[in-house]
Amino acid sequence: MSPMNSVKAMATGGILLSIRALRVSFRIDRTTTLDAVKDIDFDIPPNSTVALVGESGSGKSVTALAILGLLPRENATVGSGSRILYRDRNLLDVSEREMRKLRGSDISMIFQEPMNSLNPVFTVGFQLAEVLRQHAGLTRTQARSRAVELLAEVGIPEPEEKIGAYPFQLSGGQQQRVMIAMAIACEPRLLIADEPTTALDVTIQKQILELIADLQKRRGMSVLFITHDLAVVGEIADYVIVMREGTIREQGPVDQIFEAPLDDYTQALLLCRPHLARRPKRLPVIDDFLNHGPGTVRDVPERRRGLRGDEQIVLEAHHLGKSFYSRLGLFGQREFKAVRNVSFSLAKGKTLGVVGESGSGKTTVGLMLMRLHVASSGQVIFDGKDILALSPREAMPYKRRIQIVFQNPYSSLNPRFTIGQILTEPMTIHGIGADATQRRDMAYVLLEKVGLAGASFFKYPHEFSGGQRQRIAIARCLTMQPEVLICDESVSALDVSVQAQVLNLLQDLQDEYGMSYIFISHDLAVVKYMADQVMVLSEGEVVEIANSDEIYLNPQHPYTKKLLSSIPRGWHSRVPAT
Amino acid sequence: MNPNHLARSQVRAESPGLWVLAWRRFCYDRVGLISFDIVLFFVALMAASATGLIASDWSIEVGVSHAPPTFMGPADASARITTGAAPPESAMSARETEGRNSDGVDPLAEILAEIRGANRSGARDVAIVDPLAEVLAQIRAGSSVESATDVRAPTLIFGGDKWGRDVLKKAIKGTETSMFVGLAAATLAALLGTVFGALAGYYGGWIDDFFNWFYSVFTSIPYLLLILAIAAVLNQKGTMTVVLILSLTGWTGIFRLIRAEYMKHKIREYVQAAEALGASDMRRMFVHILPNVSHVVLVQLSLHVVLFIKSEVVLSFLGFGVGVDTVSWGSMLNEAQSELLIGNWWQLAAATLAMAMLVTAFGLLTDALRDALDPKLK
Amino acid sequence: MLAYLVRRLWQTIPTLIGVVLLVFLLFNWVGGDPAYLLAGKISNPEQIESIRRQLGVDQPAYVQLWLFVQQIASGDFGTSWSTNEQVSEIFATRLGPSLTVLVPLLVIDTMLAMAAAMLVAYLRGSLTDRLVMIGCTIGQSISILVYIIVFQYLLAYRLGWFPVQGWGANFLENIFVYSLLPIFVGVIVSLAPDTRLYRSFFLDEINQDYVRTARAKGLSEMRVIWVHVLRNASIPIITNVMIQLPGLLAGAFLIERFFSIPGIGREVLLAVERSDFPVIKAVTIYVAIATMVTNLLADLLYKAVDPRVQLK
Repeated sequence: MSPMNSVKAMATGGILLSIRALRVSFRIDRTTTLDAVKDIDFDIPPNSTVALVGESGSGKSVTALAILGLLPRENATVGSGSRILYRDRNLLDVSEREMRKLRGSDISMIFQEPMNSLNPVFTVGFQLAEVLRQHAGLTRTQARSRAVELLAEVGIPEPEEKIGAYPFQLSGGQQQRVMIAMAIACEPRLLIADEPTTALDVTIQKQILELIADLQKRRGMSVLFITHDLAVVGEIADYVIVMREGTIREQGPVDQIFEAPLDDYTQALLLCRPHLARRPKRLPVIDDFLNHGPGTVRDVPERRRGLRGDEQIVLEAHHLGKSFYSRLGLFGQREFKAVRNVSFSLAKGKTLGVVGESGSGKTTVGLMLMRLHVASSGQVIFDGKDILALSPREAMPYKRRIQIVFQNPYSSLNPRFTIGQILTEPMTIHGIGADATQRRDMAYVLLEKVGLAGASFFKYPHEFSGGQRQRIAIARCLTMQPEVLICDESVSALDVSVQAQVLNLLQDLQDEYGMSYIFISHDLAVVKYMADQVMVLSEGEVVEIANSDEIYLNPQHPYTKKLLSSIPRGWHSRVPAT
Repeated sequence: MNPNHLARSQVRAESPGLWVLAWRRFCYDRVGLISFDIVLFFVALMAASATGLIASDWSIEVGVSHAPPTFMGPADASARITTGAAPPESAMSARETEGRNSDGVDPLAEILAEIRGANRSGARDVAIVDPLAEVLAQIRAGSSVESATDVRAPTLIFGGDKWGRDVLKKAIKGTETSMFVGLAAATLAALLGTVFGALAGYYGGWIDDFFNWFYSVFTSIPYLLLILAIAAVLNQKGTMTVVLILSLTGWTGIFRLIRAEYMKHKIREYVQAAEALGASDMRRMFVHILPNVSHVVLVQLSLHVVLFIKSEVVLSFLGFGVGVDTVSWGSMLNEAQSELLIGNWWQLAAATLAMAMLVTAFGLLTDALRDALDPKLK
Repeated sequence: MLAYLVRRLWQTIPTLIGVVLLVFLLFNWVGGDPAYLLAGKISNPEQIESIRRQLGVDQPAYVQLWLFVQQIASGDFGTSWSTNEQVSEIFATRLGPSLTVLVPLLVIDTMLAMAAAMLVAYLRGSLTDRLVMIGCTIGQSISILVYIIVFQYLLAYRLGWFPVQGWGANFLENIFVYSLLPIFVGVIVSLAPDTRLYRSFFLDEINQDYVRTARAKGLSEMRVIWVHVLRNASIPIITNVMIQLPGLLAGAFLIERFFSIPGIGREVLLAVERSDFPVIKAVTIYVAIATMVTNLLADLLYKAVDPRVQLK
């Protein structure tokens, strides 16, 4: 359905679900309550896709759970004036029995982590049949054959066999298809999808999105699609609601939101994500909008990236390989080759992007460079020496010259150390700084450089947000003044707006110190923005290496092409070209 | 002026570490606080008792035999013994009571008591001659306590046992024994379990295999059986022996948990980061990981104190526990069984109440600790 | 599967060796020459001499160890030092009474604890939940000795509902007359800790994502708990029950002693009091072997309950 038609449909009436003055708060402990949702209103029209967009803490998932009455009853309270109107009834007033009749049959929901959302000890067929027998009253045989049909409809190959499979025997994408099958089994009028593709690879994501869109059209149901990814929203939504910290910042038809957003935050969200076509010298961040207005963001000069071929090479990897072994039979072993024959070179002051889906081996490569994994084969030449062949003692002086920033900001800092201890420890180990006072001063300087207050020195990691913790992790690496910095999915766990800040910081540091980066990510748009040269990995092997502009404009290998075509292009791909 | 210097001097922020946060959470839990206070009270009691401030004279027979509690009033004089020496506490008493137990009800109990009473009150013209009477008289003359001709109180605060010793004081002394054994054994077991678990979980490989083998050998034998076997072999009683036996067999639970924790933390990114910047194995194990695991150790310590106190009571009851000159709730319970048959419930009550209070308080404390240190919405 | 079994059996060998060594060390080395111990208990010096010869006390350690290993392999641990019965005889005759009490005890306790835990998990956070939990804590703080003493006194001695102690001649009489009070006391004692433990298993499962999915499908809370949660929680519950099984063989010492039930536990207690090493050694070894076997059975049972388990 084209965007304009959806607006018309809305205007002619027939609202499926209506939310008025919804307020939800959580009791954290005896003294604190958190207001997760603060007085929001919106409608879901029939036969359309409504996207609920927001970053973490925006309250979007809480809203979805509130609709179905699935909020944890121990500590969640829904405000008294709230109304969730469905078919002229306020779902918040309806009895639990009535609610149960609606769940799974009128309104269904699918969740983010399909592996955990399916019961691990029951077969797929059992769990599918369960919902059919609950609501449609089918017999066991009837339910079973209907289940097979449903599996076929959601695109599971060999449904007759897969009926007897357990969740752990299926891939992530297949598990999510099973979840979808369970959700649509009883012909719901509204399907709520809570970040259904966030945990999946980008190629699988594309398939699932297509499936959901297809089902929506064919069955004429509405979809409430919750996500943080605006590109996805642009591709599938008819109507968009933007939430931040529990309130709705803006809502409207998709064309209006993308073409002419009114709210600062919406504008910021749209622009601070790295775009595939442009590469501004600096990514705009939320603060730019909220403080200085949109004008300052539009006219940022572009940055050129790419290797000419004559740059100084600072690090070279030759034929890296890594195998993991597991037991097989009585005496045998099974070998899993995580990395095979990976070779590349890193130019001084430049960034090499490493791109791949899960299982491609990209993280393993990074860890091998750091000697955190013992390589099964290959060499890494740095400063004339093969650093993989050194003994631990010989390798010590090299440790400070190559450093790594990990993915998860919540587990990469020791929760029991103060920031000061985290920053001064590497200095103490490597003998940087003459005494404790000097080290402390250096730590203060670094904190300032990464944009944190000096008082952070005495604080603990749990007092900081994800983005701030990544900055601390970066500062920790900087204490050793490394020449090479490996960023292993360093921004993947961060919200879009925070991502932009950290990417800007990394770029500033590279400009100032001339560090060479190896930037590992599954996010193609981010890699294109940051990298001069891009290496694509698939199942442990190098599929293609080229300058980043080249790879995106002119991919050679079929896998690269497939990867690139899976990236949600966003709103602009839907607008007919003029 | 460098803004950071300003920051330093102004805002030396009182930054709450995780322990402080946990303490704050703990303080909100009223049940936890009350149980903490009770435990502290018992610790104080133990200290006072150990240093001799109170109850050091527990072994003095101050009351009549089987003196009832004060609030019940004195018993009838007929079947009670009013004066006389307590037979020397011997290793045979446990067996003696056991013999009586396995025979069930002794239909001659009352008659015997009467005979004995009639004999003792007479003093010299008795049909039963006590061959050790002279020796005892000498011993008694040598000690500063004169128990032969003292006036005995008809009632004591919480009653008296068979020899007229103050039950309340015995209960307090029993507290000292149990608390000491519980705390000492738990500390030792926690130490062993943590060190073994850290080494096994962190290094993996053959070190892990060795410790696992060690662990499976110890756990192949049921706990009580192992304790009894060791007790049989050592054939030696005493508080330190009990502490040793309990800790050498009780480290296994802590080992398994700490090992699992170390295995979990070893692959966490903050440990990998420490490895990346060059921290040594020892440093990673004890400076990085241990503080993150210490809350588990603390909770396990608390749990094991309870477990060991209960084990000690059973051991002392059976006669394999603390020495004969030390009071334990277990030995009190041993006496209590035969006392019940003549209707005296106060020693049983005292031992049970004291133990129940301490163990319940510890149990609730452990729960509160768990919730404070690792808050999950219940 | 066969490969798995072979590998598992292979892995238990070091443990078995370890247990044999431990028992040997304990009894032959730490225990030392039993002559001193037995002097006061066995008046016949020739008997003491033959015991010493049997143990090979004067011989070097490895010979003693070999004698011990032979004993284990043949199942003949000689005779009891106090009663002169064949140790294997003792074990065989005492096993029956122990199991008569302990098997029903385990079954009843597990079922009651599971039911209580499920109920409390369903009502989690409510006043009932907290009261039950505190009740369990207090219940656990009272020594098993007190329970036995008090119940034996009240229900048997005073009220006369059950025999105070003793054992009968035939199975029916044993199970329906003599075992009742011991089983009752045993259940009371184990109910509190097991309820708490199983409750934590249930709560762990209730907080999982798949429970949220089940509710989102419109299933009733009863079905969610009885079908979805129970199935998953039964995995750790089975572990717990299997761990307790070898204890059945060792017998419930105290219960058997107080109620004069001629089981293995009581036998062990008597043996310990009399320093009757052969009996203690034999029981220890048998129970250790039983533990290893039940661990293996537990792993096999997992496979039946949890499809994710790969036995290899």
